[in-house]
Amino acid sequence: MLEMKKLYLFLLILLPFVTIAQEVEDEIKWYFNLPEVPIYAERPIKEIGVQQTRMDSIVLKENIALSVADILTFNSSIYVKNYGRATLSTVAFRGTSASHTQVSWNGMKINNPMLGMTDFSMIPSYFVDDAMLLHGTSSVNETGGGLGGSVKLSTKPAQSDGFGLQYVQGIGSFKTFDEFLRITYGNEHWQTSTRVVFSSSPNDYKYRNHDKKENIYDENMNIIGQYYPIERNRSGAFKDFHFLQEAYYNTKKGDKFGFNAWYINSNRELAMLTVDYGDDTDFDNRQRENTFRSVMSWDHIKESWKLGTKAGYIYTWMAYDYKRDLGNGIMAHMTHSRSKINTFFGQLDGEYYIGDKWLFTANVTAHQHFVESRDKSIMQIDGNEATVGYHKARIELTNSISAKWRPVDRLGLSLVIREEMFGNEWTPIIPAFFIDGVISEKGDVVAKASVSRNYRFPSLNDLYFMPGGNPDLKSESGWTYDAGLSFALGKNEIYSFSGSATWFESYISDWIIWLPTTKGFFSPDNIKDVHAYGIELKGDLDVALSKDWKLQLDGTLSWTPSINEGEPRSPADQSVGKQLPYVPEYSSTVTGRLSWRTWSFLYKWCYYSERYTMSSNDISLTGKLPQYFMSNIALEKEISFKWADVSFKGAVNNLFNEEYLSVLSRPMPGINFEIFVGITPKW
Amino acid sequence: MNISQQSTVNSQQISTTIINWQRITSFTQRLLSVVCCLLSLISCMEWDYGLEETFDTSASGDGLFICNEGNFQYGNATLSYYNPETKVVENEVFYRANAMKLGDVAQSMIIRDSIGWVVVNNSHVIFAIDINTFKEVGRITNLTSPRYIHFVSDEKAYVTQIWDNRIFIVNPKRYEITGYIDVPNMTMESGSTEQMVQYGKYVYVNCWSYQNRILKIDSETDQVVDELVVGIQPTSIVMDCNNKLWTVTDGGYEGSPYGHEAPSLYRIDAETFTIEKQFEFKFGDAPSEVQLNGAKDKLYWINDDIWEMDVTADRVPVRPFIPYSETIYYGLTVCPRSGDVYVADAIDYVQQGMIYRYSKEGELIDEFYVGIIPGAFCWK
Repeated sequence: MLEMKKLYLFLLILLPFVTIAQEVEDEIKWYFNLPEVPIYAERPIKEIGVQQTRMDSIVLKENIALSVADILTFNSSIYVKNYGRATLSTVAFRGTSASHTQVSWNGMKINNPMLGMTDFSMIPSYFVDDAMLLHGTSSVNETGGGLGGSVKLSTKPAQSDGFGLQYVQGIGSFKTFDEFLRITYGNEHWQTSTRVVFSSSPNDYKYRNHDKKENIYDENMNIIGQYYPIERNRSGAFKDFHFLQEAYYNTKKGDKFGFNAWYINSNRELAMLTVDYGDDTDFDNRQRENTFRSVMSWDHIKESWKLGTKAGYIYTWMAYDYKRDLGNGIMAHMTHSRSKINTFFGQLDGEYYIGDKWLFTANVTAHQHFVESRDKSIMQIDGNEATVGYHKARIELTNSISAKWRPVDRLGLSLVIREEMFGNEWTPIIPAFFIDGVISEKGDVVAKASVSRNYRFPSLNDLYFMPGGNPDLKSESGWTYDAGLSFALGKNEIYSFSGSATWFESYISDWIIWLPTTKGFFSPDNIKDVHAYGIELKGDLDVALSKDWKLQLDGTLSWTPSINEGEPRSPADQSVGKQLPYVPEYSSTVTGRLSWRTWSFLYKWCYYSERYTMSSNDISLTGKLPQYFMSNIALEKEISFKWADVSFKGAVNNLFNEEYLSVLSRPMPGINFEIFVGITPKW
Repeated sequence: MNISQQSTVNSQQISTTIINWQRITSFTQRLLSVVCCLLSLISCMEWDYGLEETFDTSASGDGLFICNEGNFQYGNATLSYYNPETKVVENEVFYRANAMKLGDVAQSMIIRDSIGWVVVNNSHVIFAIDINTFKEVGRITNLTSPRYIHFVSDEKAYVTQIWDNRIFIVNPKRYEITGYIDVPNMTMESGSTEQMVQYGKYVYVNCWSYQNRILKIDSETDQVVDELVVGIQPTSIVMDCNNKLWTVTDGGYEGSPYGHEAPSLYRIDAETFTIEKQFEFKFGDAPSEVQLNGAKDKLYWINDDIWEMDVTADRVPVRPFIPYSETIYYGLTVCPRSGDVYVADAIDYVQQGMIYRYSKEGELIDEFYVGIIPGAFCWK
């Protein structure tokens, strides 16, 4: 009943938009343009054999409240392990772990060098203009270490002429406020952009806690009743601020200069588990982060060659505080953890074309990290204070050369040779070979195949964390193979239909796992050999149903067994031959957009199959998480006034008000609503 | 082809493919049907643990509870119950009896007057359960990070903590926190008090993480009245038939600012609160889990292998009681009645652990799977 009331309220909110819409000039414009279907002969030579998924701006700019984690959840075959709303979100790309996905921003690697992984909930999708997933082998074209693949995030010049401004305000359930401002300026040579995002919420959504019961006692403290309580998400508030400054200069004579600077200030509480019986007013569990990332670039482009160079810097300060009230209002630290990372980045790359049949590339990239980790203060035996932590520096160098050859229009071959150095250790040569060929011009049927070796060095925490770091760890290594078919059909301004099917197989050795020790802390070791394989299907359909109606449907379906094939840890080990924990075997997404004139309706759906929580795949009450279906909808209206374009959007998340968990003991919100108003003045 | 051409999205269209409007409409309809079918799957999620099961183990004699810690931050701790007579194990008994989770990191359990007290560390709670039905009878909440509970009387118990420099005083009858014992020279951040044994009115507590002390607490005044410095990080404490306290240190770890030394087993006289004997292990060893048999005249501990020693022995045995067997032993207990030795193997710490049951002669009698990371035992 409550949900029905919310739905009515939502419709009531939308009603004024309908009324306004009838009062203003109803300029007909497409919400999206039908994508153009490429002809096989013009497949870029740079992308020979590459398996990639590109997120277009419609997907990335869906609404300002979304992070890249949300985008990946509903638009890719990647499994996003989400610890709650606006909390840590990591990915499992092709059945691998979070640190097996390499993430770059404008060419600079942004995986945390201490942890090896990236928190995608900290990347607002409005700050990304182009997102590309490079699946498995294809990541070797960009970087090493992507045993699952890589995610390439970029910003682009806004292509504005004169001053431009866009402001979007979002208000949602749980007192959530999202604000986005972008100011652009552009002329023939210059493009500048300033973007700001601020999101905040107490995030105290209600949920029925099925993991605990409240007791009703009589006066003798005998339990006379129990019930599953309706609780609020406790200690889950967040305030995230992002600022992005960009400047681009194009000489129009073959030289392009770019500057990007991104500052993040995040203050997030860590939500209490469903099984936490502490009083949330007595505990403060909080993570704060200040990160500054900047990249400068220069590209010199000529008819048949290109030289590019980049320089960058990352500063990250992270704080984790766990405090409790001593009963007198004083919050005492139980944990007071601090870490600082300084990273310097440099890159040089070149491309050289010989006719339209050969392309040679070379790339040298360096990241120099300086890390200081202070995990705990202790009192030594002599009474002095000391800190448990580590202070390390490491240089990471990756070099590659490639030759790409298209002897005939229908065939392409590519060879990439990469080598990496972390600290003073070099990987063996990392080769990758790609081939693609047009099977049928009708339907643009293209076959692709690739094979590569790959290595991932342990993260700095893996090696040096105190206590538990293991400096004797070996690199994880793997072989990956994939092969697939793609097609594209279409008729100009009527429809386009494309799809692909890819089979992949990876063998990863010396997989690093953190395990408890007999001394009470965790320590990593090269434990497992993993065989990850499966099939990825993608399909995209765009149809102009009539002059005014357009439909866009995108879908993915993945089957990703990820099997432990290592030696048994002990005679009792039941994990060999089983699916890795927290990796779904099946996942699927469907996104449908229906637009009519200046209205558009969006339906997003995703599915993850049951995830095991034990390496033995034991089906017990705690051994699995149920399969996961999620539906979100949004309705948007754009109105064009003489003085500005105005958009109104209403979104409903978790449409069917499911009670669900993505990770054990981490409740997710039920149905919730957001409305957005955007304005783009016409100067 | 030049680079600028390469870097832009292709703009040409396939113009040769001809598909009529009806075919498009038909295909779209089919696709929409598929989408509708998929949407019909939307309400299949479940977050429910069903009905409460009824247990009654009152007829059986011995019974062993196993606290399975579960994975930190995942809330998948469980409680197992094993009947040594029938060799039948029941897993997740708290869950099944109460239709709710036990919590995050089940640390320890004791029994007093047919009530089991299960300390669930990162859930900040101690559950009181009926040891025959496994049903909850009450709970003490809002503890900092509880590790062990020790009863001083029916109405007073001490609860040790990690990351707190206080030992909590609770009233088990009212399930209330009634006070605190401040531990001297201990900060909140590196606070650690662990296991407790009582001799007369004094309660002895080993302080483990970044600590090296045994505390002596007067249970009448609830004050720390004395402390004894031992080696780095005493992991556990027991008291034998001769009123001697035994504790074993783990020696810290390499690179620790608190120090790293060879661990030792200490015999301490409870009356005089002085160290009587120190048995030093090799540097790099990691002994833990010191336990006693029912008569309290034999001492057991884990140091890769399982070791057994008379409490009157002058030196540590040369050969282990149960040799290391391709795994890391995580927990240990000895049946107070039969003398059988139970050893927990956590395997890879993310699957059901295995319990090996040996006779007092060291013969394997039984083995059974329990929950994730079986770490503590409690005899009925």
